[in-house]
Amino acid sequence: MVVAIKNPIHAALFLVLSFFSTAAIWLLLNAEFLAIALVLVYVGAVMVLFLFVIMMLDINVATLRQGFARYFPLGIIIAFFMVVAMGLIVSSDYFLSDIYSQGSISTIQSNTKLLGLAIYQDYLYHFEIAGAILLVAIIAAISLCLNKSKITKSTQPDVQVLAKKDDRLRVVKMKSEEKED
Amino acid sequence: MRTDLIILMPEITLLVMTCVVLLVDAFSEDKFRKITYWITQLSLLLTICMVFYYSPDYSYLAFNGAFITDTMSVILKIVICGISIIVFFYSYEYLKESELLKGEYFVLGLFAVLGMMIMSSAYHLLSVYLGIELLSLSLYAMVAMHRKSKYSTEAAIKYFVLGALASGMLLYGISMIYGVTGSLQLTNIADAINNSAIEKIYLVYGMIFIIVGIAFKLGAAPFHMWLPDVYQGAPTSVTLFISSAPKIAAFAITVRVLVDGLFPLIDDWQSILSLLAILSMAIGNIIAIAQENIKRMLAYSTIAHVGYLFLGLIAGTPSGFAGSMFYVISYSLMTIGAFGMIILLGRFDLEAEKIEDFKGLIVRNSWFALIMLFLMFSMAGVPPFLGFWSKWFVIKELVDSGFFVLAVAAVFFSIIGAYYYLRIVKIMCFDKPDTMRAIKASQQMRTVLTINGLLILIIGLSPNTLMNLCLSAF
Amino acid sequence: MSGYMETFYLIIVLAPLFASLIAGLFGNLVGRHGAHWVTNIGVGISTVLSLLVYKHHIIDGAADYNQSIYVWLTSGGIDFQIGFLIDKLSATMMVVVSFVSWMIHIYTIGYMQNDPGYQRFFSYISLFTFAMLMLVMSNNFLQLFFGWEAVGLVSYLLIGFWYKKESAIFANLKAFLVNRIGDFGFLLGIAAVLMYFDTLDYVEVFKNVEQHADTTITIINGEPWSLMTVICISLFIGAMGKSAQVPLHVWLPDSMEGPTPISALIHAATMVTAGIFMVSRMSPLFELSATALNFILIIGAITALSMGILGLVQNDIKRVVAYSTLSQLGYMTVALGASAYAAAMFHLVTHAFFKALLFLAAGSVIIVMHHEQDMRKMGGLFKYMPITCFTCFIGSLALIGFPGTSGFFSKDIIIEAVHYSSLPASSFAYYSVLLGVFITALYSFRLFFMTFFGKENMSREKWEKLHEAPAVVTTPLLVLAIPSLILGFFLIDPVLSGNYFGSAIYVSSENNALSIIGAEYKGIFSFITHAFLHPPVYLSFAGLFVAWLCYIKFPNLPGMIVGHIGFIYRLLVNKYGFDDFNQVFFAGGVRKIGHLLSHYGDAKLIDGLLVNGSAKSIRIFSSFIRHMQSGYLYHYAFSIIIGLLLLIAIFVHGVFY
Repeated sequence: MVVAIKNPIHAALFLVLSFFSTAAIWLLLNAEFLAIALVLVYVGAVMVLFLFVIMMLDINVATLRQGFARYFPLGIIIAFFMVVAMGLIVSSDYFLSDIYSQGSISTIQSNTKLLGLAIYQDYLYHFEIAGAILLVAIIAAISLCLNKSKITKSTQPDVQVLAKKDDRLRVVKMKSEEKED
Repeated sequence: MRTDLIILMPEITLLVMTCVVLLVDAFSEDKFRKITYWITQLSLLLTICMVFYYSPDYSYLAFNGAFITDTMSVILKIVICGISIIVFFYSYEYLKESELLKGEYFVLGLFAVLGMMIMSSAYHLLSVYLGIELLSLSLYAMVAMHRKSKYSTEAAIKYFVLGALASGMLLYGISMIYGVTGSLQLTNIADAINNSAIEKIYLVYGMIFIIVGIAFKLGAAPFHMWLPDVYQGAPTSVTLFISSAPKIAAFAITVRVLVDGLFPLIDDWQSILSLLAILSMAIGNIIAIAQENIKRMLAYSTIAHVGYLFLGLIAGTPSGFAGSMFYVISYSLMTIGAFGMIILLGRFDLEAEKIEDFKGLIVRNSWFALIMLFLMFSMAGVPPFLGFWSKWFVIKELVDSGFFVLAVAAVFFSIIGAYYYLRIVKIMCFDKPDTMRAIKASQQMRTVLTINGLLILIIGLSPNTLMNLCLSAF
Repeated sequence: MSGYMETFYLIIVLAPLFASLIAGLFGNLVGRHGAHWVTNIGVGISTVLSLLVYKHHIIDGAADYNQSIYVWLTSGGIDFQIGFLIDKLSATMMVVVSFVSWMIHIYTIGYMQNDPGYQRFFSYISLFTFAMLMLVMSNNFLQLFFGWEAVGLVSYLLIGFWYKKESAIFANLKAFLVNRIGDFGFLLGIAAVLMYFDTLDYVEVFKNVEQHADTTITIINGEPWSLMTVICISLFIGAMGKSAQVPLHVWLPDSMEGPTPISALIHAATMVTAGIFMVSRMSPLFELSATALNFILIIGAITALSMGILGLVQNDIKRVVAYSTLSQLGYMTVALGASAYAAAMFHLVTHAFFKALLFLAAGSVIIVMHHEQDMRKMGGLFKYMPITCFTCFIGSLALIGFPGTSGFFSKDIIIEAVHYSSLPASSFAYYSVLLGVFITALYSFRLFFMTFFGKENMSREKWEKLHEAPAVVTTPLLVLAIPSLILGFFLIDPVLSGNYFGSAIYVSSENNALSIIGAEYKGIFSFITHAFLHPPVYLSFAGLFVAWLCYIKFPNLPGMIVGHIGFIYRLLVNKYGFDDFNQVFFAGGVRKIGHLLSHYGDAKLIDGLLVNGSAKSIRIFSSFIRHMQSGYLYHYAFSIIIGLLLLIAIFVHGVFY
């Protein structure tokens, strides 16, 4: 529904719904910290921001939809093949007797603590890289959006304060017009 | 943990220096961009020194096997940094000329270099993925840098969306592998495959997704579609960057994942890569003939080169991998030379994007015509230039491993390929120039380009040094 | 001193290369003076150092130096190296090459004075010196081949130096094509060596040569060939190309289209002797194949005699000298065939000096005559250019082997060696070379008399402006005259006693004709007096006398003779029809085959089907791909997914298997 629906606001709301469902899955897997974090961060912060942006931009929905119908059947066919190809693999009963699901999830330690240990000990390196990636994302976003051109208006108080009368005002003496008759 | 951090020193240095550059740049005015530039170069030099200094005698795994330093990573990191130095040099000249000079270019560039270094040391599928993302994200932003240009924005969007798609596939593949083997660490994966009776089909399924992801990053056919558009649309300085060092890093992860992690599946990935290689060589070389825009032509030539790069991997022997490594290093050297040439000829008012702009270069400036001649001959694989040896090594390995059909195909396509390289030479030497405008370029630009061109010749005259270096990596 | 030697070797080779690069690449920057200074100094350094090396290895008798200095490439377990083998053989060649080259550098300053390609010319000849030194100093086949091709390349460049001259381009092409044939043989030889010995290093090959003495290989079904014979004949075919032996000699006379200094340097003194040098270097191989030696002997003898005869009917002054070069190369080849390698090298050395001298003298005449080369339009130049005349006289004496001159010693021992040789072909060779002596004397003095004596046949305004050539031209003449005259006295002793070249040349005991001569040898003067008991001396006197008769005493005589034996004369003027034969049979035939191929193979098959066909199919393909390369994002994404699906279908589900 996120992809198919016409109104972007509705689409965003459906996305919120799907996040909720993901959180629910986490909960079922005994990962309550992740579930809460997902709801807080994505639903609470990211999606709300997203909705604001969509509302502010006021996108003309109809034009975006052009061509969708044209490619829809083809998309369906490809998707069908994709699903069949994947299905043949995934549906085979292999994953039911999974190796890692047999490793029991420890209920003695708190889920959050385990996660913290994993992030800050086992996967410290990756965590740091992820940090760097976020930094890059920020830089990229700023450098692409920040418009340093002359259009940007801002006040410069220091300059304003220092302004003298002479800088702004110039008394020009002009010859009076001669009368024509 | 401490030794781990020490091993990580080069990356840490680069990250810290990047932050320094970022801060310096943020607080300096436009006319002081020079400082940003010089600090950037300095940080790369420093990183090279660090890599040298902290290079261990044997391969060493850090962070629970997520990070590896061995001969290959050391060599590749040094080459990546070295190439990046030249790239930034050309870029600086270009950006200065076309008034696109911004500090972000260098900051993002350094982050990209960091990503490449992570990739060359990645020994864990998660590191692989994160390295690729760090690199790609920086590149997307760099492509989009020239905001006023319609083409640049278009290229960035295409690159971004397709890149995200490819990343998704890569991630999917990684999760498949994880699902089957229960590990992301490459040695563990290899062990798991060897020890337990996993049905191969699931592995192959995951591997295909991973290969597609990597092939996209390298630009191998049929996942090459973004390449020509991005090459053409991006500012030349960025194209130059994308076309050179990232290929080395992508080569590194290919070797890591396929050879170190998925070696038991060699039969399968050999045939997948053969298919990709033949497609790439065919599509790259044939379509390049029809191009009038030299950046686009070089994009297709890149696709073809990626095909050759795969050949060494297909051979499946250590010397074959070394041949591929030789190939990718020499390819980077040649391609930055070619783009350097475009930058040299292009000026603010006129970018030398059309092949016609090379008309009669020999009359306008015979020295640079000679350098261009070196570059084109080398790309076409004419002895004794570097490009000949790189082709020679991979094809020889292929023959030694018994892939005769593939070797014949490679030779056949390289003959087709020679046509469009030599066409440039012909246009350069025998056509009358449209303009007799002298080539104006700074002394540094001339010097570096000359060194770049002569390197192609010199290494070509003594390919053994580099080849031995590459052989020592495996 | 020996500590520096290694550095010296490098400098000897590199000095001309650098000079050449400077003169060639920065020709406009350094100017004409800069170009000739830098190249002269470069080659001068080489010469001086070569002399030091000569002293070190030959006079002081230092041990051989054999070292690879640089591994160029390792492929398939075989090292391709650059290295030097400096022994008595190469030390001798180094002196000859660098010395003659230096003289010619000096001479060129005068000869090319007004040529627009001045810097280019100097760059080429220095480059040639570099390549030739690489060739002689090499310690392996690869470098030998490199030098071999490089001297060939420069030679083509220089033959076609005046690239606006139609005939020069033709000659250039001819030299190129003919040499290709030789090089093909040479390359086959090297390949065979590599195949059976697994190395390209001389010393390694020579060490193992005994093991392969009886190896046979099968080329055509069922016919076993001795490996050594195959290798040696292949290598010798290379030598035939480069050293212009019949029937691959046709390029050399035409190469005279190049500037005269080049004719002297490349086509007389050094490059053409590369083949002789190579065979001497390979003596351990050739000694194992009597068949190859016989082959060499016959080819050499034919060349020596027939090319000498051709020299009789030429009127172009340079061509006479060129044919004489061919004939002298024939002598050297004969000596090789008779296993008298030392004698061949000896003759090579003396010949380098006196033939360079003769060429430069001819060049000197040509400058003075304003590039007139026809001898019939000369005459009486003796009065106007005494130095040239005098030096030319010395050169001619040396060439005919006048007792006491350097050519006398070297030629005499060749003839003697053939006489004592036990090979089946040796008697044929012996009479050929004997007759050759007479012919040599006849044509060289024909040239001498026609040019310098008799009536002045040139036009009046030329005649009035006659004068001696400038000092830069005459100095090299005088310098070269000295070794031409006296070199034999110094070298005959060590050459005959067999220890001049020491271990550099290997001769098996049953073939060793030189040692027989050496055993009879009792000192220089008895050698000279002894010579008067043998026919060669009288034959050369006879030749001289006949020349005098025909061209000084009775100038009408030659015309009468020609009138009587018109057929033979025409045959000779047409150079036995070699050129016509090649032109019609090879060139024409090949052209016909070429036309056939180009019509059916190229136009129909390749152009029609493959090129145009593939161009068409590529266009279709391209437009298809272009259609895909539409620029639309979703098309791209689509293609990625299709690609993925295909891969999965093929490799996971095995659709196409």
